[in-house]
Amino acid sequence: MANQSGQVYGLTILSPIVENERIDICHATELRWYLASLPRDHTSPFARVSSTHLARLVVMDDVVFVGAPAHEEHLKSRYLVFETNFDGDLDTYLTRMAREIPEVVESVWKHCVGYPGVADPAGFVAYMKKCQIATTFFFADVNDKTVQQNLRALQVQSALAHFIEKNQGEPAAEIQKSFGVLLERLAKAPAPLPGGDDSEETSAEDRPHD
Amino acid sequence: MTNSAVIRTDNTKIDVSDIQGFALKGYNFPFARYLLLELLHPKAAQNFIGQVVQYLTTGERWDEKPVATVNLAFTHRGLVQLELPEAALLSFPVEFQQGMKARREILYDTGKNAPEHWDPVWSEDRVHVWLAVNAQTPAALEKQCALLVQLMEQTGGARQLQAQDAGAIFIDGKPTSKEHFGYTDGFGNPDFKGAERECVPGQGKLAKDGTWEALATGEFLLGYADESGELPVAPIPHLLARNGTFMVYRKMHQNVATFRDYLEKQSRLYLGGKEKLAAKFIGRWRDGTPIELSPDQPDPAIVQDDNRNTNFTYGNDLSGLRCPIGAHIRRANPRDAFGFHGELVNRRRIMRRGLPYGQYVPEGQPVRDEDDRGVIFMALNASLFRQFEFVQQQWIEYGNDLHQGNDKDLVIGNHDGKGKFVVQGTADAQNPPFVCAHLPHFVELRGGDYFFVPSLTALEMMASGSVDPR
Amino acid sequence: MNAITPMKPWKTPLLRVFFFILGAVKPLQTDLKNLSFIHFARWVIITRHQFPQLSPQQPREELRYDYLMFFSNFNGTWNQYIDAFSAVLSQGLNAIWRWSEKFPGSVPVTPFKAYISQLQFDTDYYYNAYPRAATNDVKAALRVQDAFNEFVKTSQTLSPSDFEKAYRQFLVRVQADLGSTGMAPVGT
Repeated sequence: MANQSGQVYGLTILSPIVENERIDICHATELRWYLASLPRDHTSPFARVSSTHLARLVVMDDVVFVGAPAHEEHLKSRYLVFETNFDGDLDTYLTRMAREIPEVVESVWKHCVGYPGVADPAGFVAYMKKCQIATTFFFADVNDKTVQQNLRALQVQSALAHFIEKNQGEPAAEIQKSFGVLLERLAKAPAPLPGGDDSEETSAEDRPHD
Repeated sequence: MTNSAVIRTDNTKIDVSDIQGFALKGYNFPFARYLLLELLHPKAAQNFIGQVVQYLTTGERWDEKPVATVNLAFTHRGLVQLELPEAALLSFPVEFQQGMKARREILYDTGKNAPEHWDPVWSEDRVHVWLAVNAQTPAALEKQCALLVQLMEQTGGARQLQAQDAGAIFIDGKPTSKEHFGYTDGFGNPDFKGAERECVPGQGKLAKDGTWEALATGEFLLGYADESGELPVAPIPHLLARNGTFMVYRKMHQNVATFRDYLEKQSRLYLGGKEKLAAKFIGRWRDGTPIELSPDQPDPAIVQDDNRNTNFTYGNDLSGLRCPIGAHIRRANPRDAFGFHGELVNRRRIMRRGLPYGQYVPEGQPVRDEDDRGVIFMALNASLFRQFEFVQQQWIEYGNDLHQGNDKDLVIGNHDGKGKFVVQGTADAQNPPFVCAHLPHFVELRGGDYFFVPSLTALEMMASGSVDPR
Repeated sequence: MNAITPMKPWKTPLLRVFFFILGAVKPLQTDLKNLSFIHFARWVIITRHQFPQLSPQQPREELRYDYLMFFSNFNGTWNQYIDAFSAVLSQGLNAIWRWSEKFPGSVPVTPFKAYISQLQFDTDYYYNAYPRAATNDVKAALRVQDAFNEFVKTSQTLSPSDFEKAYRQFLVRVQADLGSTGMAPVGT
């Protein structure tokens, strides 16, 4: 199936943006301002929809004119492009968006034609599917691990690199003991936050190494 | 002087009499002085350039080696001072117009490498000209420099801001290619089509059948086809750019005490021994033997044989068991380490011409970091942005392409005490996995800039004020 | 990076056939994996009739071209990325984009870069679940995790000297994958 690669789903949505000549600030502009103000780190709305690997939102004003002898043409509407790569199936993801980040969904898609609101998640899912464009070819370099698995692996990698460095040259019995301690700390360590930093900026208590 | 100014190789015709000599080959003279000049009144400066051109060393073959050579290059400010037409000035690549100091974020010339710590000569942006003399003896050096200083005074066209001496390190009365950390340097300059000397295996690019070929001339000289099958982007007019090239000049101070201390301490835990660890840092034993070819000990026979001393690839050592994945020479020239027959590396080569400066202190004798010593690093390429800056930013100060994450080059990386270098190893006790952590700052940048190295034709045009950008 | 190019509608089925082959042919996908600087990339064909119309008030699009959209998430600088594509993926890229109007070919690189610059458009909002990790870092971390899990299973009850041997073997296994994560260099 073209939208899927391994475990990862590649969703492409084009939502027409409302054109209204009578308002002062057009929908596309307001939408752009809103998007510029959204956080991109672990406080991002997509960190809350935590199955998201990578996502982007783009206000597409028009198609491009590549120059003669190609013909010039223009779109009659502007489109909001939502491109996202996530774990699991489409219905679950869209439902999560409606349930977990309704304010953000509302603030973004209220500018789009035919948006039914998020009060009824099923209605929202149906609306988004109407705007979905099938991916023709989807490439995912790592497609068999969830976001959480990737984040956890990065955490382990960092902890191990520090551990190896710190215990170099120590007698075997010492290393073995310290390794036991590391295991415990890793087991207790909180799940790393998606969209956030990795261990460099995590507080000392949460860092499994040291 | 010679009977043929044009040398054909591989169907590439290079007009060697029009190209400044050091762009085509290293002179291998043991003494050098780099005069950094400020150009004065444009007309006087043009006159000065016209006078200097008569002493300029070109790429023509020598029947008899001269006792001294003369070459020169310009910063963008220098070209502005010469009053080149605006259209020509604006056609130079952006990075050259900005100059190296303005590119500090890109190059990681921050912290201890930041311009605030550079030699004062760079602080007022008045360096216009790099005027270089290489000589066979100190007397010849002094004589040639005196002559050039006299020309400056006679024409009133330029003023010396700093004279930087550099030269081969002498050991037991003989000039060597050593640098201050004790490594033998100078291997692996790229071969390109039309260059005078024979192709040395390992210096060019890899052909699909595993043999070595010369790189396209346009990677190192403007006006010739480059590796991507086009003429490199170059300033206008054609005659100003053709047969010219760009040079980066960086004065790199070496903290020899810190380096020796660090190597000593790390060696206590590294079971392969100090010399092997030193070899792992760089990718060559200190005598120059590539560890890829001789992982267990140095081998003078390899070092002395030009057919062998740079003839190796990393394809059979992708795990870094012989030459660590992050070793210095592997970062600077990954060869086939990224797969694709080395295609991703062919357009990232640089031609090096540096020399050490400062007094050499042999191993075992007391030495201080603060003493003035290091390397004057110079590299030539057709595109500073695509070649030097890329290698510096992506392969030296970063490691993602090498799959080393954010780890930096051990020797010249801009460390802050937190970096690390991993020596990949095996179950063999003499070749253990080893982590060198808390990397100190071994090399500090003390100044430099980007220069344009014009052809003789271009210099004549500049001297006579006749650069016409159409 | 986001890009959109126009295609004459009769060429679109030819492109679909190519993608059908690309999907089935390993070597092309392998090259992308080996370049190892792209997390995700997708090509989306949107024909001139496929632009969504959600209400009768919204004017229907009347276009003569079909459009090929391209989205990618990559590590490294834009120039590095396009240089690499031009150097080692030119055949595959040509096969995909030759159906687009005025495509100059992916070699030599300067006109190719000029073409792409023209048809790129900017992202308004971007989210990455691992902002400090390149795709290489993620892959390395997964390898380390696997090695770690195995080592933990087998090493718990070993004597110190056996532990030492096992630990050494574990180091050898992960030693190429210990690069630190962090911010990537400034784009140029």
